[in-house]
Amino acid sequence: MHFCPLALIAEITHRCPLHCVYCSNPLRMTTANSELATEEWISVFRQAGKLGMLHAHFTGGEPLARTDLAELIASARAAGLYTNLITSGIGLKESRLQMLVEAGLDHIQVSFQDSREDAANWIAGAKAHAHKIELSRGIRRHKIAFTVNLVVHRQNLDHLEEMIAFIEQLEPERVEIAHTQYYGWALKNRATLMPTRAQVEKAVAVIADAEKRLAGRIRIDSVVPDYYARYPKACMGGWGRRLILVNPSGKVLPCHAAEVLPGLSFENVREKSLEWIWQESESFRRFRGEEWMPEPCRSCDRREEDFGGCRCQAFMLIGDDKATDPACSLAPAHHLVEAAVLHANSETQTAKPAPASSFVQLQKRTETLWSYRTNPE
Amino acid sequence: MSPPTDDSRPRLASGTRWAPPTTGGMEETRMILFPEGVIKLQGTGRLVLERCDGQRTFGEILTDLQKEFDKTDADKIRIDISTFLEQLQKKRIIDY
Repeated sequence: MHFCPLALIAEITHRCPLHCVYCSNPLRMTTANSELATEEWISVFRQAGKLGMLHAHFTGGEPLARTDLAELIASARAAGLYTNLITSGIGLKESRLQMLVEAGLDHIQVSFQDSREDAANWIAGAKAHAHKIELSRGIRRHKIAFTVNLVVHRQNLDHLEEMIAFIEQLEPERVEIAHTQYYGWALKNRATLMPTRAQVEKAVAVIADAEKRLAGRIRIDSVVPDYYARYPKACMGGWGRRLILVNPSGKVLPCHAAEVLPGLSFENVREKSLEWIWQESESFRRFRGEEWMPEPCRSCDRREEDFGGCRCQAFMLIGDDKATDPACSLAPAHHLVEAAVLHANSETQTAKPAPASSFVQLQKRTETLWSYRTNPE
Repeated sequence: MSPPTDDSRPRLASGTRWAPPTTGGMEETRMILFPEGVIKLQGTGRLVLERCDGQRTFGEILTDLQKEFDKTDADKIRIDISTFLEQLQKKRIIDY
């Protein structure tokens, strides 16, 4: 079977001014001195365009940490790609935003940690909230698409209505309400982040109301978190079917977390072409199609819909990357996810820190609650 | 929001654009790119969206296409195109 890659996730740096506790970056990050050079990225975008890819998502870390970002965006656009910048916005001044738009930026996506400034900064581990609001106003002065990404979890789901009302006044075209997924730092902090069933159910109702009320103004995209769903997510639209991720050092991965998988080595754009890696490499072919599938996936009617779920989640929770994703209610190892869900619901209170007199003190007090994402050296 | 009126001037939303023409591709298919997605357009859908330039009114677009498809019931054309544009507006792909 022949698959065409549709979107390139360009993880151009792991450096980031934020320390979000739910960050999906790997725990072992790429250092600044091993990042791809400008011309190496430009070659990646050209190859992506030739492969018929349509979208380039600039992400990180914080993409703004690369001083050559405008040049990279221009080269992606010249290669025929639709350009999306996923950013915290920290350090993005009006003049630089103008430069990025002139370079051909189509879409900007800004994440908000909460509607309440104190809580937002606490989750991000940085004083970022007020700056993001200011940036959002600036974005609306340009003719680009604007999406707000709201990451939700146990700590903020109780006031989802308030968060949606807050986002409304920023006037994006789109809101992504994304439940935390447990990879990287988020898996480390799962106990503090996982919502209760009541929170998840209430969120579904709140989102349905908001969709109705905001129809034609703001489009809302959201999904039920996989730990609470009956079937697993179609992770990345299937392994090696739609997406290519290039990490800061040029390693080419089928998804954000793939490096945790044992016995797989990943090719580098410094050594091989993107086309060869997509079509021929062992890493991209490993879980493509159905041959690798165990039961119950192999004979399941849904195998072309969710592709057995997420390989990394199977490995991280069970230690077997070929097993059915334990988030699936039909998976032999589903009890592992059930146990985590049970644990999250055994205590309906949310562990909150005692009031602190300063931001630094607040962070200190919550060191036992979760680990903040650190920065690469 | 409501369906477009005769005075509405439909246009692609901010950050939504036609994909550059590809070489060797099928001439009759064109693509519109938008955040996280793409629509491939042929036939009537393409004819409608190519006229959504922010200059022409919905009324003018209708008259134009009713002429083009003079064997089809004019009211049906109006309803179909209006529904099509309203759906795309809800997805924030076009504005009017």
